[in-house]
Amino acid sequence: MNKLPFVLIAFSILINVNLSAQTEQQSGDDPFSQSKFVPDISFILDVSYLYRDIKNDDYNLFEVPGLIQSTLEESAHGHEHAEMNSRSGFNLNYGELVVASTVDPYFDLFGIFHLSSEGFGIEEGYFLTRSLPLGFQIKGGKFLSSFGRINEQHAHYWAFANMPLVYKSFFGSHGLSEIGMQINWVAPTDFYLMFGGELLQGNNETSFGADGFQDLSGSIKVSSSNAPNLYTGFMRTSFDVDNLTVLAGISGAFGKSRLNHGIDTDAPDGHAVYEDAKILNANLTLKYIIESYRDITFQTEFLNKITKGDLYYKDSIGTTMKGDISKDQSGLYSQLVYKFSQYWRIGFRYDLLMKNEIVRNSSTLDLPDFMPQLSSMIEYNPTEFSRIRLQYNHDRTKYFEDNLKINNEILLQINLSIGAHGAHSF
Amino acid sequence: MKNIIIILISIILTGSVFADELNVVTTYPYIASIVEQVGKDKVNVFALAKGEWDPHTIIPKPSFIAKLRKADILILNGAQLEIGWLPPLMRQANNSKIQVGTPGILDLSKHVELIEVPTAISRAQGDVHPDGNPHFHLDFKNIPKISTAIAHKLSEIDPVNKATYEQNNNAFLENYYQKEKEWTAALEKLRGTKVIEYHKIYDYLLRRVGLQLVGTIEPVPGISPTSRHIESLEKIISSNDVKYILQDVYHPDDASKYLSSKHNIKLKIIPHDIGAVSNTNNIFELFNEIVRRLIGD
Repeated sequence: MNKLPFVLIAFSILINVNLSAQTEQQSGDDPFSQSKFVPDISFILDVSYLYRDIKNDDYNLFEVPGLIQSTLEESAHGHEHAEMNSRSGFNLNYGELVVASTVDPYFDLFGIFHLSSEGFGIEEGYFLTRSLPLGFQIKGGKFLSSFGRINEQHAHYWAFANMPLVYKSFFGSHGLSEIGMQINWVAPTDFYLMFGGELLQGNNETSFGADGFQDLSGSIKVSSSNAPNLYTGFMRTSFDVDNLTVLAGISGAFGKSRLNHGIDTDAPDGHAVYEDAKILNANLTLKYIIESYRDITFQTEFLNKITKGDLYYKDSIGTTMKGDISKDQSGLYSQLVYKFSQYWRIGFRYDLLMKNEIVRNSSTLDLPDFMPQLSSMIEYNPTEFSRIRLQYNHDRTKYFEDNLKINNEILLQINLSIGAHGAHSF
Repeated sequence: MKNIIIILISIILTGSVFADELNVVTTYPYIASIVEQVGKDKVNVFALAKGEWDPHTIIPKPSFIAKLRKADILILNGAQLEIGWLPPLMRQANNSKIQVGTPGILDLSKHVELIEVPTAISRAQGDVHPDGNPHFHLDFKNIPKISTAIAHKLSEIDPVNKATYEQNNNAFLENYYQKEKEWTAALEKLRGTKVIEYHKIYDYLLRRVGLQLVGTIEPVPGISPTSRHIESLEKIISSNDVKYILQDVYHPDDASKYLSSKHNIKLKIIPHDIGAVSNTNNIFELFNEIVRRLIGD
């Protein structure tokens, strides 16, 4: 990735802000002053201290069998990772720069930039329409898909420091973040009812891929997609019963996967898949408001991934072979968060990867299919702009050479935001 | 598939065919009560927040999106009181009638004079409101300005019923001025009385009544009291004849109770909005109850 343009953009934003602040001070009578048009700008910093009872070097070798490759293997296949809370010791998880404003009577524009030690990335850059009739809205650009419940939320809004395992397994550590278009429609009903669909390029690191590949000898070749490669559809509904709010949703993502794990290298385990992939989601959130500063929230999501297609791999002498592969994998998370004062929350989360069926060339792989993780957290929010969180994870999903490696983690996370940062949704 | 399309079309139609009343959504209940007085049977009004909640931090329930989706007019308090919860709801409602900059929005803070406008802004000062103190509706002399702004807005969006709205507003005002005289007379004996409040939510009321504010339980807005701050309040109490501590319904009252019992100062729970305490079902009852609680022992 060429980082220079992004750095230049960031610089020019900062310089502009600085200049307009100066112009305002210098003269109120500049007929061309544009200082009132400065968009909302905010910066969020997330850092943590992690203690893990496993050494970093050992941890990097662990995998979640059939679902998440070891960090080492991923980087060997060219995936650079800025994963959050990944190392024992201090972690700089991200600095997030958010710029947002209304473009004109027809559009709002949002830019969310992630600055990590690896580079400057456009996390999101999208527009929203403001004036479509009949309850329609179009979103376009790069954005976090509205698939599921937690996917479109930014990390600093989550109730726990890390992403639910099933999301990480199916979409990687950045979630389903895609380039494309979304249309959604809110029904004019007394309760909340929303339908939407997305047409996306389909370049997810784990489940969908648009880039083709070929092996070293050129004997096999899968061409790149020439059109959007991924479709999603979603529906949400919500209603209140007294002080209880119920929000339920279903969604699906359907696309083609072209995933190359080193078939174009001389690595003996290099392989690639070209398959149809389908991920389904059902989610439910219940929030009971006890009083202004106290509430209890239960949130759960279930995901199922089904794929079927071609597997390209190498035989013992390095010749590329074509076989078939199919997967049927499921996972869920359930969490309970109790906000017991204006400033404090506690929460528990149960993550479970519960179905892990991979059939390769008609033989079923022997994979663990009950992999849980327990997390608990306590959080202090001195104001709405700062948060300190202590979290404990008991992780029974990591394996090394088919042996379970139980992993215990404690992390202390601090998340701060400055500037004009927009409010969050439910 | 055919069935689904028929259902969807019928939902769209039922949503629009029976809409001969004006759908008005307000952020807080006090606004809804005034809209009811001015709009009467021509409007269908719904308040998003409940009066017992902290007006700064309303949980943005998705059901609010459904209300905003069907709104013809959105009336908000303004002065950034809703900034922490309303904007995403407005975006998700997909309703072009109530976007910022369209005639379907009424910002009441633009129709009153705001006090305590800060000259320098830093969040080190807590949850500051750059436009000034947003709790202006507790000055009962601001209510006529608000009802008149509402009457103008309803007339602008629904010109057919302009005469009705004006008539309703005049009737409301006649009634209201009568009550206002009674409240002013009853509160006269409190002029000059020294009070402490929890959050700077009653400042407009205090100015109107002539109550003298000598301290707040919060060290800065939005930050809960520290023991050091309580000590400094105790010093203020010892050198001033503080008569009352005024507390809202949603903040914890342990600090207020501690000061109240230790220094023998009367603690008064003052409703800030309709529904905060019982017997506050409309704007008249809200001020009746505030006056009753202020002058009572």
